[in-house]
Amino acid sequence: MSAMGTWLRAEVTTSPAHARVQRAFYGWLRLRANPLAFGGFLILVGLVLVAALAPVIAPVGYNEQSLALRLRSPSAEHWFGTDELGRDLFARIVWGARITIYISTLVAVIAAPIGLAVGTTAGYFGGWTDTVLMRINDMFLSFPGLILALGFVAALGPGIGNAVIAIALTAWPPIARLARAETLTIRASDYIAAVRIQGAGPLRIILRHIVPMCVPSVVVRITLNMAGIILTAAGLGFLGLGAQPPTPEWGAMLSTGRQNMLGAWWIAAVPGIAILITSLAFNLFGDGLRDVLDPRSE
Amino acid sequence: MRGIVAAAVGTMALMGGAVQAATPRDALVMAWNLDALITFDPAQIAEVNGNDIIRNVCEPMVNYDLKDTSKIVPGTVAKWAVSEDGLTLTMTLRDDLKFPSGKKATAQDAEWSLHRAVMLGFGNAANITEWGFNKDNIATTIKATDEHTLAFKLDRPYPVGLLLSAMFASGSTGILDREEGTKNAKVTEGKSDYGNAFFKTAPVCVGPYRVTRWNTNDVVILERNDNYYGEKAKLRRVIIRHVPESGAQRLLLEQGDIDVARLLGTDDLKALAANVAATVAIEQTVMHGYSYLAFNGLDPILGNPKVREAFRYLIDYDGLAKTILEYQGAPRASLVPRGAFGALDAADGQPFKLDLERAKALLTEAGFPNGFAKKFILSANSFSPAVAQHVQSNAAKIGVTLQLEQMADAQLFTRARSREFEVLLIGWGAGYPDAHSMISRHAVNPDNRVEAKLAQYPSWRSSWIDAKVNEMADAAKMERDPAKRITAYHEIQRYMMKSGPMAYIVQTIRPIALRKEVKDFAITPFDVAYRTATK
Amino acid sequence: MLAAAWQVGSVAVTLFGLLAITFFMGRLLPIDPVISIVGEQADKATYDMVYHRLGLDKPLAMQFLLFVGDMLSGEFGDALFTGNKVAVDLGRVFPATIELATFAIIIGVGVGVPLGVLAAVYRGSLLDHVARFVGLLGYSSPTFWLGLMGLIVFYATLRWVGGPGRLDVAFIDSIEPRTGLILLDAALEGEWEVFANAFGHIVLPGSILGYASLAYISRMTRSFMLEQLGQDYIIAARAKGMSRWRVVRRHAFRNIRVQLLTVIALAYAFLLEGAVLTETVFAWPGFGRYLTSGLLAGDMNAVLACVLIIGIIFVSLNLIADALYRLLDPRTR
Repeated sequence: MSAMGTWLRAEVTTSPAHARVQRAFYGWLRLRANPLAFGGFLILVGLVLVAALAPVIAPVGYNEQSLALRLRSPSAEHWFGTDELGRDLFARIVWGARITIYISTLVAVIAAPIGLAVGTTAGYFGGWTDTVLMRINDMFLSFPGLILALGFVAALGPGIGNAVIAIALTAWPPIARLARAETLTIRASDYIAAVRIQGAGPLRIILRHIVPMCVPSVVVRITLNMAGIILTAAGLGFLGLGAQPPTPEWGAMLSTGRQNMLGAWWIAAVPGIAILITSLAFNLFGDGLRDVLDPRSE
Repeated sequence: MRGIVAAAVGTMALMGGAVQAATPRDALVMAWNLDALITFDPAQIAEVNGNDIIRNVCEPMVNYDLKDTSKIVPGTVAKWAVSEDGLTLTMTLRDDLKFPSGKKATAQDAEWSLHRAVMLGFGNAANITEWGFNKDNIATTIKATDEHTLAFKLDRPYPVGLLLSAMFASGSTGILDREEGTKNAKVTEGKSDYGNAFFKTAPVCVGPYRVTRWNTNDVVILERNDNYYGEKAKLRRVIIRHVPESGAQRLLLEQGDIDVARLLGTDDLKALAANVAATVAIEQTVMHGYSYLAFNGLDPILGNPKVREAFRYLIDYDGLAKTILEYQGAPRASLVPRGAFGALDAADGQPFKLDLERAKALLTEAGFPNGFAKKFILSANSFSPAVAQHVQSNAAKIGVTLQLEQMADAQLFTRARSREFEVLLIGWGAGYPDAHSMISRHAVNPDNRVEAKLAQYPSWRSSWIDAKVNEMADAAKMERDPAKRITAYHEIQRYMMKSGPMAYIVQTIRPIALRKEVKDFAITPFDVAYRTATK
Repeated sequence: MLAAAWQVGSVAVTLFGLLAITFFMGRLLPIDPVISIVGEQADKATYDMVYHRLGLDKPLAMQFLLFVGDMLSGEFGDALFTGNKVAVDLGRVFPATIELATFAIIIGVGVGVPLGVLAAVYRGSLLDHVARFVGLLGYSSPTFWLGLMGLIVFYATLRWVGGPGRLDVAFIDSIEPRTGLILLDAALEGEWEVFANAFGHIVLPGSILGYASLAYISRMTRSFMLEQLGQDYIIAARAKGMSRWRVVRRHAFRNIRVQLLTVIALAYAFLLEGAVLTETVFAWPGFGRYLTSGLLAGDMNAVLACVLIIGIIFVSLNLIADALYRLLDPRTR
């Protein structure tokens, strides 16, 4: 065993940093040990690579039209075939990976902090604050996700940016509920009482002591929700309100392919499978992540 | 997935074998998208489904000949006569008209039906009000003089052929039961609705079928009216099912679960033609309608006729017609559709082709050699996105950046009607087969002021007005010599192709796919006759 | 008593807020409901007439109050794009969706719960991985894509199931809609031919939706079971020599029933609203499609009524879940 290995596996950690690294290392080992979760992880890494290297990987641009080449089935020349305007589907899928990553990252970045803030505040203070925040939360939660997103996109105007905001609006309430539930458990614990006695204010307690405790389950939750987010984005594209043409957003591509579903199956099948694989990867990864991060499921 | 397959297999075994397919022998089963259908009151109907169905339920006063749309044949009206001065039109109704209940239908019913259409004042009333009738004068200008005779006082001596085609063959002239309508009228704020709410689901009309069931967005069922005066419908029932997906319609048709499919996409039609030509026929009807680009004249760049002309060279008409728009449209750039009275012939009516250099030259002439950027709005449905992306990619080649924004149809119409667009891809259907139908809305603009709000005029929407065209169109409308009318319309069309506010892409084709056991299902641009079908 | 009043009050506030958000969102929509009534080619006078008739010229606050009044009266006002009372429309579309969702949840529970239990009991085994994969696959699939594929395979090619719609045309109108649930109506009247036909139509969309909910149900079952199986009393029972399955049946599963019921109820609620795309593919005249068409036509009466109903379903389920959560997890007390 190398020195590094010994340090990582040390029985007694020497510093908080050492402890954190070691925890991450053991988490990594557990992830490795779970083939499905690790597979999901690898797919996601692959997706990021594809998105980053799109100009290199894609044989042509995503909007190179040719009416003469339309609806070609998959071949050596066009790996995934061509669409109704004769565009190379492989190129569009590759470029589209960027859109998918863009949407999912942005939604996560918007929804997670909102959900955390609302949930921990409600959970920590309880009483009126809790009631008001949770009623608002209920309002959003009881709104059908796709309809809320549809309504907002219709009101704000279609486009990726607005789609992201709309989806984020539907994505934070479950996170808030989760964070609140976690907070309720943590709030009663002894070490919070200890910190409070030491004179820490609510803001400090929430930010320094409660939020970090909630983060693992929130990360798991949002990873698992990512599939739903991607499918909602696809649903918006499907209804014509997501990304605007000729943007190669997978959901929009799927929607176009619907018209040729029976004849040129690949137009819908290729983005359909891309969406499926990506959301499956998120789900597998999230599921594994839960085993790693969530101590209760051990 | 395995589990489901197993479960499905298991349940099928329980059910005792394959599902039997076949439509009932005495019924015509049709699949369509019925989303837009909101009423069966002939005075209100303003969309395709309703118009199509109502002609089989409420027979108009005169009909287009099912074999030749340019000919007018008697309907509920047996004969007509115009006075010497051309200002009085007398129509004689048949004396054997009956409502489905068996009650006699009279000229008083017909008079009431026309009056209510005008008094209700839905968009449809324009079919009548365009010819000088209005809420104030209708009591005296349209009168039943006896049980079988209607007299019309005209304000100007219109050519009778135009009047018959534009007003009397329209769906708004169906004869409704006055007694039922008055009895069931709802009065709000002192105003009667003339039975509008009552007739919405169950119009009581003289016609070969009657509506017996309508579940919104699900199914419409028509039953044969055995008291109809004319030849009785051959099939006892017509069942129209709401099937919004083209793919699903195609499967239903292939399996024989429906007889007629009304909303098939290009590629499904191509597949049907290729795979099941033995059992399924595809009837293509060239409609009197268009898919077109409209430009907002208030925009300093798009207001320039040269710029608009350049756009006409950015469209690969033939390429589109052979690919994306196969079965959906035929290239046509003139605003009067082929088949209408006064239309230019095929070659003269389509002088443009894809020509990027020409387009570039026109832009340079207009003073925009480096192009420009504009927003381009369109419907998210059907072939619109593909056509728009095609135009967008050609425009990009000459430096014009078009930013697409697709939306729901209702929203697109709102934007168009309030002039909130730069470039717009939309459709339009003419009401009758005469050049006047298109020209009176797409070329004529009575008042271009914003506050005039003439949103029913696409010319106004594009903020386009030309006093000379207004005059030419009015003269042509009143011309009683058919040959001279034709010449006048040709002139207007040539002028509009050069300077008009639209770039017409294709004249609409309506493809209807039907199983070959269905015979005598007569299809014309303005009338789909379920009533003659047999199987 | 006071607590109950408090609950009712807060629910009312939530629902009122929901209506307010929807109403003002509707005001922001750039879709004009008048156009769908008067038609795209209508003139200004016609337009103004209908605009006035719909009360759109009244002040916003007034309109909102009228809306709320309509909602409270239970008739929900007129749906503009169908012209019926919304209550009448809902009476037709809701049973269609209930029937579909119920069918789906039966599959979801029938397959999902055993799958989840097995996965938990044999945690880490191949079975666990397969169950997880199968479940997650259902959770990750675009349902409408599965729907069309299913139609091609099972309807068009194999002819095992009925096509789009709730019945073959030959059977339309053949039974009196008493409950609106065709399967139930047919069974009540003993019309087994109709029943078989309706079953042939529902089996595919129902299975596909069921598959989607199966994932959620089986995962939650698995995680509840794992939690129970790790408890001391289980280990004690095993140590006393109780067989594995007896422990699972008699103790672990019994303890997760309430939690599981909550999960199933939520999954059911999601099915009620989440079937829009499936309903479109299968020409199923249900609630989800009604709501979407209403929204896209700018018909806020219909949308508000639907949102209110979904809101009521969700809020009540949340309340129940909340109460159960408090009851079961002592740490939150």
